[in-house]
Amino acid sequence: MKRPHPGTALLHDRLSPMLPSMSRPMSRDKADMLLLIAACVLVLAPHAAHLPLWISLTSTAVLAWRGWVTFRGNRLPPRWILLPITTIAMIVIYWDFNTFFGRDAGVAMLVLLLVFKLLEMHAKRDLFVIIFVSFFLMLTNFFYSQSIFTAVMMVAAVLAIVTAQLSFQYTGIVPSLKKRLGLGSLIVGLAVPLTLVLFFLFPRIQGPLWGLPSDAHAGQSGLSDTMAPGNISSLALSDDVAFRVKFLDPAPPKSALYWRGIVLGNYDGRTWTKLMQPGTPVIDIQARGKPVRYQVTLEPNGRRWLFALELPTAVPQLSNNPTGITHDLQLLTTSPVSERIRYDVESILDFSVQPHASQLSLRDWLELPPSFNPTTLAFAASLRTQHNTDTKLVAAVLQFFREKNFRYTLEPPLLGKHAVDDFLFATQAGFCEHYASSFVVLMRALDIPARVVTGYQGGEINPVDGYMTVRQSDAHAWAEVWLDQRGWVRIDPTAAVAPERVAQNLARTLPRAGIGGLLGLDLEKSAWISSLRGNWNAASNAWNQWVLNYSPDRQKRLMQALGFQDADWRTLIVLMLVIGSIVMAIVAIILLLNRTIINPLDALYQTFCQQMKKRNLPRARHEGPRDYCQRLTATDSVLPAHKKAAVERFLQLYEILQYGRVDQNLRPATITQLKSLLSECR
Amino acid sequence: MRALFSRWIDKWLFQLRGAESGEVFLHQRRVFILPTRPGLAFGVMLVLLLLGAINYNLSLGFALTFLIAGIAIVDLHLTFRNLAHLHLNAGRAPAVFAGADAQFELQVINRRKHDRYALWIGFIGPGLPDLPQPTDIAANSTSCVLLTAPTQERGWLAAPRVRLQTRFPLGLVRAWSYWQPAVHVLVYPTPEEHAPPLPRASDEREDGHGRFGQNDFAGIRAYQVGDSLKHLAWKQIAKIDVDAGGVLLTKQFEGGATSETVLDYATLPRLMDREMKLSRLTRWILDAELQGQPYAFRLGSISYPPACGAAHQTACLCALALYEGS
Repeated sequence: MKRPHPGTALLHDRLSPMLPSMSRPMSRDKADMLLLIAACVLVLAPHAAHLPLWISLTSTAVLAWRGWVTFRGNRLPPRWILLPITTIAMIVIYWDFNTFFGRDAGVAMLVLLLVFKLLEMHAKRDLFVIIFVSFFLMLTNFFYSQSIFTAVMMVAAVLAIVTAQLSFQYTGIVPSLKKRLGLGSLIVGLAVPLTLVLFFLFPRIQGPLWGLPSDAHAGQSGLSDTMAPGNISSLALSDDVAFRVKFLDPAPPKSALYWRGIVLGNYDGRTWTKLMQPGTPVIDIQARGKPVRYQVTLEPNGRRWLFALELPTAVPQLSNNPTGITHDLQLLTTSPVSERIRYDVESILDFSVQPHASQLSLRDWLELPPSFNPTTLAFAASLRTQHNTDTKLVAAVLQFFREKNFRYTLEPPLLGKHAVDDFLFATQAGFCEHYASSFVVLMRALDIPARVVTGYQGGEINPVDGYMTVRQSDAHAWAEVWLDQRGWVRIDPTAAVAPERVAQNLARTLPRAGIGGLLGLDLEKSAWISSLRGNWNAASNAWNQWVLNYSPDRQKRLMQALGFQDADWRTLIVLMLVIGSIVMAIVAIILLLNRTIINPLDALYQTFCQQMKKRNLPRARHEGPRDYCQRLTATDSVLPAHKKAAVERFLQLYEILQYGRVDQNLRPATITQLKSLLSECR
Repeated sequence: MRALFSRWIDKWLFQLRGAESGEVFLHQRRVFILPTRPGLAFGVMLVLLLLGAINYNLSLGFALTFLIAGIAIVDLHLTFRNLAHLHLNAGRAPAVFAGADAQFELQVINRRKHDRYALWIGFIGPGLPDLPQPTDIAANSTSCVLLTAPTQERGWLAAPRVRLQTRFPLGLVRAWSYWQPAVHVLVYPTPEEHAPPLPRASDEREDGHGRFGQNDFAGIRAYQVGDSLKHLAWKQIAKIDVDAGGVLLTKQFEGGATSETVLDYATLPRLMDREMKLSRLTRWILDAELQGQPYAFRLGSISYPPACGAAHQTACLCALALYEGS
């Protein structure tokens, strides 16, 4: 086999033992390569959070291998070593993900492609392959996170890539890393204004353009359309934001903040599911009091529900995702909410729903699975004999919850087949879903139409920007019962057991483990932490409103605010081009018009030479001030005699200032003298 | 047709002009810029990133795409700036023998406040190897580039057109500019390789000067470039303290013209090719200089008296290079 450069390799081998490795400056190629590896690490690092461990480990190992190869100046591994390793990696990806397509598998493949390409980088073309793959990997990272921190990481990674890329372009002198980073920062910095113009004015098209992979929205937490024990408690510790609300009217008290979402009416003994009722909903609502107006910014959750306070007066309208209302007053969109959306709602807090519903239409809300929970049924029968009205029965059941020693806990004991029996009479410890579920079963056993409603309860107002944040940990389940003349009435059995759950936040209800708990600090109460948290929340909300939620709608509204009433994509393109050109012109001016600043002394001399040129006595190129002076003041010179003295003095002074040693303090005075001499020469 | 079109392109688009003497300023209108192949691929990648951002509604994806697009545009400006507003000057171009590579010294002057890196300067033209030289020019400084062009024929050789190009800093675009420096190099005829020995001076004296004149030691003088090594005054040199700035000394002889070598074009065989004759004369001049043998030179109407030394040699070679007669 022929070695590519036998001579250099041999020379290198022979020299390396002789030279102390520490004092030897790193060769240029090595430094460039290590910089590129560092840039790749910055690109790959955020992916470690969601990639399978084996991929992270493999990537780290390959990067370390590449770094070692570079550092030692060894040759890259040949293809016959790389090919089997890559093949094995691909097989493991398939084995792990069961597919090559889809989001996670795709990202895993890109990651491995990048690290293996680094091991197989021979030509300059390969540098661009690595850069392109890096940019794609940065894009895929936004599937998982689009936080401010991610954005900062993105800018850092872009800066690293740009610096690495430009480092490869030098042919002779290579400036220090600091200088190169400076150039990289200049490039990225000057690109920022253009980025902003493009970001806000590039005509936004509502995606998706093609199908999303099935796992595109995996990991987005939120309420599901079924309720089994454990569903909501799994959300309870999640600090993720479910939605944010801006109240246009004064916010209602916390105990009234029931954000209604999903209504569940079918029970199979363990899981609550939706109750399908055919036909167009006919809803009879009697509203009392003034409505509350507010705006909801819903995080994408991949589901179809919109959340609103009980009860919205109208169905919120979303562009290109029609929304309707069901017979049980759920707000349903046509397609899942896959991006952050915003809608305006108006709710009334005092109302009655279907006070005159027919018994026939209520029959579905009485169904119970047969041969489940016999103790509960017997208990219901005995209650029926003690109380004669439905209202009294409801009060009696709540009384039962309150008086028996029920506990509110996120880690309830396991329940058996007769889950409600076990909960009500044995464990008596559970979470809101247990209470809501058993309460509804009990109601139905009492022949009172009842249903489970899930949604969110509460919310936290941020004093900085006035937005209320509702988090996944605010997820809640409650019940609704139908009472004659009053219609559907909300009953929250959890409130009977743990009233503070409704009055405050879940976070405060549950003993909090974690760092704060360990240190004995009450993080929630500490004032400065709370203000810090408020500022951070406001920043992240502004981030959501202006960056993440910058949708076609939002763009349209921005255009309207700027005075473009009917801004279609043509207006936007024209605007983008005009403003973009202006920004580009400014960039060009900054870059191109940095003329050398002439020091005042040179400027004076130049003016002098030009004056003499006008007198037909131009300075010859080879002439220094002394020779020039001799020629100008020579007896046969055309210069008038009275000017000669001034010219001579000027040139002598200039010579001293330019080439002699002059005290810095005297300089300004001498320059003034030169100026006056110059006007004499004219 | 195609040739016409490319000439039209050269003239109107690239504004190619004749040789420019003196210092040339690379005005921004003389700088052209187009994406490189990686630059085009970069554009395709941007479109893919944009489609991805639209499809998955990734706001940060848009931000990333636009940031990278902005970077490409800034790179365009920087690449342009790396080349535009340079000052160019043609330097010396020493004469060479045909067949050797002519060397042109080109000065690239950067009067701006920013350093310029990775500028490739090379000759372009039919039959010229594409061997651009990379150079860096710091702010307010000058860089000299030596470019070589092969020579074939004797006579004046105009410098080929120079192309300056750069891809710095990111390699996504290439800016280039053309410059036709007004500089010529004199190409001497190729010295004949297996030439007959130098025509020895005949014993018959032609003009009555002493025949041993060449060995009449007359004194010493400072060494001059072109003096024969055989005539170095080694004895005297040895006495001079070199550390004190000593110089080489040459023995000077009188009456050198007596054993005269005459290099006369007309005496060469009549049937010989003109270029062959010139080639042989060239070799003889070199040989004579090497031996320190004064020689007279006659070519057409030119006739130089016998002499030896750099100036004489140059004059003779120059005459040979430019000889137009038959």
